[in-house]
Amino acid sequence: MLILKPKFDFEISVEAEITPALALATDEEISNYQVYYGKDKAKLSDLFEISREGDDAKLLLDGDFSKVKWIGARMDEGEIVVKGDIGDHCGAYMTGGKIVVEGNALDWIGAEMKGGEIEVNGNVRNYVGCAYWGNMTGMTGGKITVKGNAGNYIGEKMGGGEIEIMGDTGDFVGTEMKDGTIVIHGNCGFVGGDMKGGTIKIKGNFELVPGFRKVEDGFEGDVNAGGKGKVLQL
Amino acid sequence: MLHIKNGIVIDPKNGIDAEKMDIFVKNGKIVEESEVKGDVKVIDASNKLVVAGGFDMHAHIAGSKINVGREMRPEEMRTVRLVAGKFRASIGRVLLTSPAIGYEYAKMGYTSAFEAAQPPVGALHTHEELDAIPMIDKAALPVFGNWHFVLKYVAEKNWEKLRTFIAWAIERTKGFGVKVVNPGGVEAWMYGGNCKSLDDEVPGFGVTPREIITALIQETENLNLSHSVHLHCNNLGTPGNYETTIESMKLASKFSNDRRQVLHVTHVQFNAYSGSSWRDVGSGAAEIAKYVNSVDNITIDMGQPIFGHATAMTGDAPFQFTLHKLTGARWSNKDSEIEGGAGIVPIGYLPKNPIHALQWAIGLELGLLVDSDKVVLSTDYPNGGPFTEYPYIMAMLMSRKMREKELERVSPYVQKATGLAAIDREKTLFEVIQMTRSLPARVMGLDSKGHLGFGADADIAIYNFDPLTVDVTNDFETVYKVFKTSAYTIKGGEIIAMNGELVKEVWGRTFWVDATSKVEMEAIESDLDEMFSKYYSLERQNYGVEESWIKKPERLVMG
Repeated sequence: MLILKPKFDFEISVEAEITPALALATDEEISNYQVYYGKDKAKLSDLFEISREGDDAKLLLDGDFSKVKWIGARMDEGEIVVKGDIGDHCGAYMTGGKIVVEGNALDWIGAEMKGGEIEVNGNVRNYVGCAYWGNMTGMTGGKITVKGNAGNYIGEKMGGGEIEIMGDTGDFVGTEMKDGTIVIHGNCGFVGGDMKGGTIKIKGNFELVPGFRKVEDGFEGDVNAGGKGKVLQL
Repeated sequence: MLHIKNGIVIDPKNGIDAEKMDIFVKNGKIVEESEVKGDVKVIDASNKLVVAGGFDMHAHIAGSKINVGREMRPEEMRTVRLVAGKFRASIGRVLLTSPAIGYEYAKMGYTSAFEAAQPPVGALHTHEELDAIPMIDKAALPVFGNWHFVLKYVAEKNWEKLRTFIAWAIERTKGFGVKVVNPGGVEAWMYGGNCKSLDDEVPGFGVTPREIITALIQETENLNLSHSVHLHCNNLGTPGNYETTIESMKLASKFSNDRRQVLHVTHVQFNAYSGSSWRDVGSGAAEIAKYVNSVDNITIDMGQPIFGHATAMTGDAPFQFTLHKLTGARWSNKDSEIEGGAGIVPIGYLPKNPIHALQWAIGLELGLLVDSDKVVLSTDYPNGGPFTEYPYIMAMLMSRKMREKELERVSPYVQKATGLAAIDREKTLFEVIQMTRSLPARVMGLDSKGHLGFGADADIAIYNFDPLTVDVTNDFETVYKVFKTSAYTIKGGEIIAMNGELVKEVWGRTFWVDATSKVEMEAIESDLDEMFSKYYSLERQNYGVEESWIKKPERLVMG
């Protein structure tokens, strides 16, 4: 297990595409691993204290990582545990493995992910499991679980997999969603705009865009997009 | 001063085909040996190909269209080509940022590129963007075919006013020539229609595309502008449209000019479809090639699609809407006051898609079947794809073997709908150099471009490639690779790129054409005042671009 602790409070963003595979590298490779501090190139050891416990493919991020972006992006196996908060794009494009965030997460968590599992104990901000701007499809597989609340744009253009939010969420849940499942245990704002397929289940209150019609077990739409998406009361 | 030693020179304009020669450069021009003395930098070009810098005469590189394209396609902006440092940051997949456009042309050995459709009211923006493109020489062609002034004067058959207006408009927009996009059709689009045939009447004006094109050719020739009318035909992107294209070409038959063509028909691939629907669509390239080859007053460019990402952006607003409906992709529409419009739709060309494969085959058919002094190599960037793939087109035109290999991976539909597989013809290296250098320069009427004769601009590309030993038909992979990055790109006598690495940032000139001395502005003064006060969103005195606002303007006075 590889343990990283920030050496100081980051004033600007750090971009660090770190996956659990890094734990299998040599000490020298880890120390020299290239990251960005703002626009400047930096070595991992410039910004983080690095230590090891055992040699399994696991990363432990100990401290405030809310300014650190792209953690776990493109990871395919292994585990990442974040003791504090995590920054944007955590787990983007990931295909396998597991990320556990004990604090809060910012935007774009699990964006366009294809597999694996992400668990956040705190709150998340916007664009959970979304497609990046301009791209056609968001997350297509795997599962994202958020124990707290989420912001806007949950599962936009989602093409598969599952998102579960225990708390409340904002507007635009499952916009242009094609497949997969979103489960919200709290309340949320507008749901399902231009939805083409998939299922959204909500326990609390929500607002439906006008393109949905009542069916036996809930609502179906968005008819404006010729969609057959389901919005159901949990 | 430069001395390019022992290079193998191909210079079609001067009839030089792979001869070992030395080239001398002084003050940004190609000169005789005797003029170069003293501190001379020698470039050893032994066993290397030396040609004039490439000239892209039809690309969309600046102005509101490409900028809207960049805005609506954030996914295009995730490819980092160069991190800021000695040079500016350069990004983009197919849609590039302004610095990236200049840098990528330079790396490939291209030294000039002309923006092919400038909305006149957006002229200042276009020039601001052209001024942000380093390395290359530039110019912009304002669009005329749907401008209310033009429609009005054609309806009135007032040729003096039309001629005066053309001269006024090109001066005001600091433009280079007369671009015509779907004449009448974009005006009809303001009412939800289009002009699909040459005889469809333009709503509100009582004129037809036939009359607009004829009148614009007539007055462009009366002004004897550097470049001829540059036509994007009606009915673009529709099965069966090759007939409209040939009919449009025939409108030029009563005009001639001993210096150049009188009509350049652009991105003909999009206008060369036979058939009656997308189910039976085929190639009309052979018929078009037959016509173009039979006359000497018409040139065309290919508009070759490249498999992969592209963005359709044209001043042909109704066509863009059709494309959006056809593909379901995002769509943006632009209206430029009383001058025309535009549309933008993202597109991807897939080899297994029968229509895309057909378009790809038609582009190549045109390139192969039309005489090399009449067809310019182009992708209509970014409509057909990236200009960085010109080497692919060059290699394909020169090698049947490469075409056979490529045909295996595309939809079999092209076998029955086009004649590409049966074409034996292989263009020579000389011809391909002609299609990318001397011909576009001649089409644009620029004597100092596209060749290596004395007095020409010292825009030179040197490639790691000995035409005397490399077999272009069998070694197509080498050809492709070699033309992707020049060994040296020289712009105005300075080395700007070497082996695919930028060396020095330079700023090219912006050419513009001044024909105002050939007309009396008095003829249209009151019309201009009236139209501006009635219909434009800005005052007449605020319209247009002053020469002093342009970084390096180069005025070409039409005498």
